[in-house]
Amino acid sequence: MRKTTKRIFILALAALLVISLAACGNRQSGAADARKIVYYAYNSEPILDWDPSVEFSNGIIVMHNIYETLLRYLPDEDAFEYVLATGYTQSADGLVWEFDIREGVKFHDGTVMNAEAVKFSFDRTIDMDEGAAFIWDSVEDIEVVGEYKLRITLDYAAPLDLVVASGYAAFVMSPTAVTSNDDDWLSSGNVAGTGPYTVRSSIHGEEVVLEAFKDYWGGWDGNRTELAIIRKVPETASRRQLIESGEATFILQVTPEDHAALRGADGITVREETSYQNLLLFFNNQKAPLDDPEVRRALSYAFPYSDVINHIMAGEATQGRGIIPHGLWGHGSDIYQYQYDLDKAKEMLAAAGHPDGGFTLTATYTAGDEPQRRSLELFASELAKLGVTLEIRGMPWDSQWEAAKTSPDRAQDIFVMYWWPDYASPFSWLLNLFYTEDDTLFNMSYFSDPRVDDLIDEGNVLSGVDRNAGAAAFIEAQKIIMDAAAVIPMYDQHYVRIYRDNFKGYKDNPSYPSVVFFYETYIE
Amino acid sequence: MNKMIVSKIRPVLKSHTGQWKLSFHLLWRNSLTRASLVTVIILVLLAVFAPLLATFPDHAGTATNPSAGLLAPSGTYLFGTDEQGRDIFSRVLFGTRISLGAAVISVGLALLIGIPLGAYAGAVGGWRDEVIMRVTDIFLSFPPLLLSIAIAALIGPSLQNAMLAIALSWWPWYTRLIRSQAISVKERQFVRAAQAAGAKPGWVIMRHIVPNCIAPVIVQASMDIGGVILTIASLSFLGLGAQAPSPEWGLMINTSRNYLLSAWWYSIFPGVAIFIAVLAFNLLGDGIREILDPKTRKL
Repeated sequence: MRKTTKRIFILALAALLVISLAACGNRQSGAADARKIVYYAYNSEPILDWDPSVEFSNGIIVMHNIYETLLRYLPDEDAFEYVLATGYTQSADGLVWEFDIREGVKFHDGTVMNAEAVKFSFDRTIDMDEGAAFIWDSVEDIEVVGEYKLRITLDYAAPLDLVVASGYAAFVMSPTAVTSNDDDWLSSGNVAGTGPYTVRSSIHGEEVVLEAFKDYWGGWDGNRTELAIIRKVPETASRRQLIESGEATFILQVTPEDHAALRGADGITVREETSYQNLLLFFNNQKAPLDDPEVRRALSYAFPYSDVINHIMAGEATQGRGIIPHGLWGHGSDIYQYQYDLDKAKEMLAAAGHPDGGFTLTATYTAGDEPQRRSLELFASELAKLGVTLEIRGMPWDSQWEAAKTSPDRAQDIFVMYWWPDYASPFSWLLNLFYTEDDTLFNMSYFSDPRVDDLIDEGNVLSGVDRNAGAAAFIEAQKIIMDAAAVIPMYDQHYVRIYRDNFKGYKDNPSYPSVVFFYETYIE
Repeated sequence: MNKMIVSKIRPVLKSHTGQWKLSFHLLWRNSLTRASLVTVIILVLLAVFAPLLATFPDHAGTATNPSAGLLAPSGTYLFGTDEQGRDIFSRVLFGTRISLGAAVISVGLALLIGIPLGAYAGAVGGWRDEVIMRVTDIFLSFPPLLLSIAIAALIGPSLQNAMLAIALSWWPWYTRLIRSQAISVKERQFVRAAQAAGAKPGWVIMRHIVPNCIAPVIVQASMDIGGVILTIASLSFLGLGAQAPSPEWGLMINTSRNYLLSAWWYSIFPGVAIFIAVLAFNLLGDGIREILDPKTRKL
């Protein structure tokens, strides 16, 4: 009986899916050899802003196939791959950097890429000052010293090699195309990069189809993906069906329950990879009762860390220690890690003047994100044992963010958010999330401590010349933040990558989260 | 035609209690209506006694049990467990409370807005009537679900706000209904008499007009309960109604979408609950309408 019900149900679902897919049609049929087409089923809008100087969100997965950066960071080897640069030098004081620019590279519009174009691109991003433009903060001057030689002078030492390899705001674009068109030419969906793909078609918020750029400097010999479809498939169950049926080549983010089922499936690879993405729970540090560090510490002891990791994430995560995720430099193994201890939490809460709890907190998370919702629900059931009521609200990301930006006394008490780096440095977390802000952008705990501000600045300058010294300052800052219990670092996520077995050449790179560099891939 | 029934009914037609008995009898006579009436009574009993019947009453609240996540139905967990290890049977039971309660409150609120406005409009007539009726026209020009969604999205997602949103999009129906009744009632002798005796207009409306035209509105309201249950579930499904961890049916179905392929029981049971509740109330409503409509009423 149970089995039949299940079968009928799945059949009905499959029928629905077939109908909806048939309705979408296959607009790409007859374009390229079917074996060179890759379908990436993404969970959200593939791109938000087409301007490479502005995009600071999902678009990372599209941008890196159309535009290129000077270098690409390879965290496993802690080394750089040369992309649009062929070499670089750095002065002893870390203030003057010289890049050799690759020769023989053409933009999509046919013009030639040179040092002048790189300068133009970086200057444009800095001048527009949108998205992740802050990564260039240390830059004082960019000058062209030869047709293919660029010199960047810094105000203070900073790891510029990581900056130019950033996932955001470090793209090179064609000056001719940008200057000869209207200001909104790029953001309205036109592209002018040097990357291996151009846009064949796109549907706003739904789909992007990339096709091979025949004049790509890397050439097109050997097996390579020639057509890539990135499509928004918001339903977890649909993404799973797409990969099971072989329709999709690569899918993003399904539930741990699905991972378990897919691991046993034929023709599907499920691989767990390290990530630089962590899930943070921000306490509102400026609103009673969470303005009292003692209360925040008490609540930090009430969070069910191991339940969340074992049952919600099915072990595909590690409890956070400090703010910087495991595996990235700046992660400190001696930073204090709170553990679940309800008795201690109760004692501390009583000591802070709330013997039976008695207060209500509001928490917001991004609607549709299961791990966030489930973690908060588990937290709520622990807090209920302390007499604290936690009201949980799922909101669209934008509204959640807007609410947090109003003012600390009107904002939510608890804000849950992922962070992944713009460029692979602890600076990304600490500057954006904990540096004193006059107007709130990402400092969701409204944390402000001059000692931490100084340490972040110091760490950034030091890491320009000596990464270990920089890391030490960053770790010191995290110790202060954790002592104040400004946030609960819930867990460092492991990425689980799911793709068809015949999809070859894919390498996960946590500094460019969820990006598939299609050029390196092919279907066997 | 049917002598037995006719002879049974005639003697009791005289008193008020007799009318209730007659209505009940008519309801009972149609087997479909009878089944729906029994179902509605059972649903109400389930809602009232949910804490006693639930096997894990605390699972309807904040309690979680993560190590027992997504277990298939068994002796311990009759309807299986959800992703947080909570007993779906207990949650569906408590969900009955939320759905029935919220539906009754929403309709009640709509009546509270609709009845005075409609009675006033019908009784005073003139430009006041015109204004009120044009406002109801504006409200009625939107599909009720769409209007509820818009209002709920505007005032923020919560069960209370969802109920308010439904009341705000539902009241014009009652206003129109009661206005048409009031227009005829206000010409009746007893109203004239009260006015002649010097009763204030408010008194006349509330004491003489409203009580005499409320019956069809109450019937209409009882028929709307099914639709309102569905609307509440829809709003919660869209994230505009009840918020986690509430065991609201629509919300449970929304959450279960993510586990559709690994836990069929998760979405089926709350879905069946909505299905049964809405069907029962709609069939009951149909039965009531049949009795009240002289064309379909067969004595």
